[in-house]
Amino acid sequence: MLRTILSTVSAFSLSIFSLNTFAEDPPPWKQGITAENEKSPLHPFAPNLTGVDDVPVSSLKVPAGFKVELWASVPNARSMTLGDHGTVFVSNRVGRNVYAVVEKNSAREVKTIAKGLTNPNGIALIDGNLFIAERDKIIKLDNIEANLDNPPTSQLVVDGLDPTNGPGHFWKYLVAGPDKKLYFNIGSPQNITLPNYAQAVIMRLDPKTGQMERLATGVRNSVGMDFHPVTKKLWFTEHGRDWLGEDSPNDELNTLTQNGENFGFPFCHQGDIQDPIYGKYGKCSDSTPPALKLGAHVAPLGIRFYTGNMFPAEYKNNLFIARHGSWNRTSKQGYDVMRVVLDKNGKVVKYEPFLTGFLTDDKADPPMWGRPVDVLQLLDGSLLVSDDHTGNIYRISYSKKL
Amino acid sequence: MSLFIRQFAIAVFATPLLFGFQTLSIAADVAAGKAKAEQCSACHGPNGNSVNPEIPALAGQPALMISNMLFYYREGIRKNEIMRAMAANLSNKEMKDVAAFYSTQMRENASYQSKVENVQKGALLTEKYNCTQCHGPQLQGVQHIPRIAGQQPGYLLTQLKGFKAMTREDMDGNMTSALSMVKYEEIEPIADYLAGLKTP
Repeated sequence: MLRTILSTVSAFSLSIFSLNTFAEDPPPWKQGITAENEKSPLHPFAPNLTGVDDVPVSSLKVPAGFKVELWASVPNARSMTLGDHGTVFVSNRVGRNVYAVVEKNSAREVKTIAKGLTNPNGIALIDGNLFIAERDKIIKLDNIEANLDNPPTSQLVVDGLDPTNGPGHFWKYLVAGPDKKLYFNIGSPQNITLPNYAQAVIMRLDPKTGQMERLATGVRNSVGMDFHPVTKKLWFTEHGRDWLGEDSPNDELNTLTQNGENFGFPFCHQGDIQDPIYGKYGKCSDSTPPALKLGAHVAPLGIRFYTGNMFPAEYKNNLFIARHGSWNRTSKQGYDVMRVVLDKNGKVVKYEPFLTGFLTDDKADPPMWGRPVDVLQLLDGSLLVSDDHTGNIYRISYSKKL
Repeated sequence: MSLFIRQFAIAVFATPLLFGFQTLSIAADVAAGKAKAEQCSACHGPNGNSVNPEIPALAGQPALMISNMLFYYREGIRKNEIMRAMAANLSNKEMKDVAAFYSTQMRENASYQSKVENVQKGALLTEKYNCTQCHGPQLQGVQHIPRIAGQQPGYLLTQLKGFKAMTREDMDGNMTSALSMVKYEEIEPIADYLAGLKTP
């Protein structure tokens, strides 16, 4: 109890200082831990940065009529974005490079187009210019698709995006809006804490002027965003806090309806759970509940609305969600790509597995052989899924069997 | 379980279970890794049993930790002039081979004696600061998380100070996070205690 009060008081009064100031506070990952979990051996997993040969693609499962195959290998493959001419750009979280994958006579070639970056997790294209969100800044490479073999020197768009230089949630997701502005997250620096002005937010940046605004607050960490093809609304995934239980709280799928909207963190989780520490300072009714509860600790990452013509018609405007999978849970779940079906009003009517088979044993350590990170629709309507654990990208295609 | 049996189990039993598709290449990997690792032994000692307090022992470390750290050095993520040069020309395959070799070696000749005053203190601190949660109850390493029991004291000290100063590269920030609560004067007793731990 005393510890709770102390950490609450210190977070409120002193959170503008660096983490190092508070030797008696728990480390960021342990904040809010319960007594029974005090000695929990649960730990995050590390990717195979040197890659995994011979991944068991045949163990992956997709619905009838669909086919999944290994498409390309890229170290620690994370976010993906598509050029107008079909080039697939792939980012890194733990590495330092950004890659371009080009198709040549049905073979793929992987080119390194940017090197020496710092956690370059976010990538997005606007008018042929590639924007890269690093840990602390956003840079751009102009007219990239025409210069893959001789990429231009990067230009700084905005910096100062790593307010604490601290250990938690420092990587960024980046997406281009229909308004040709950039949308990205700045995560909560810790598991559960009162965020500062530019933490636990989704920001919008006008790359022409460099002006930024806080578009959404109370978002613990979002590592996946996309715009609905019809309503043009921003949809995004959000990771719930740790140590609130095996089945609590749910990770979230959210929609933004107005600028400056609040999504609850750290006061409220999944729209209806008051936080044990911070819940007394803010009501769930003051924030927007999720459009869909995604499951506890499933770690939803990249999302993408399907607008192609290859998949059956009922897949049109469906949302695919890559779930990286849990660590903060005894019995592991996630490690798949889910399909979300929406009705005409944008309301969720179905949430079901689409790509499974990465999870091998939910009690094992590690429980999986691969971890989906992002989804991307190719020009032909097939779907790519990146896997940062083995450094591979898979392609899912559909053909109607006669 | 003795370390030998554990390593045997990892190399021969657990690996094929989890990654059955790699089974056939395991033996070749270790042999190729042993040959490649000859250039490492000048500093890291015979079979990865370093006798230099500043240079880490690699014997019995998790393979994924070794291959990932070699990747870090080659790509310039973790900074060290000598290691960057050593890793510069290694392919991913060679890194995995070297990792497979060292992970199957016995940690030997870990003769360091902790200071008497740090034995109990260090045990309490490693409990208090959650070391035993991720590095394993006996600090022997888990999956990709290094074995720190019996590691060289000077090396441990340098790494811990680096994490404390937020200058040591750290995948998800877990160690930087862990060290954020450790007092600076507690780092030396922790390193001294860990270095003196023997293989159970």
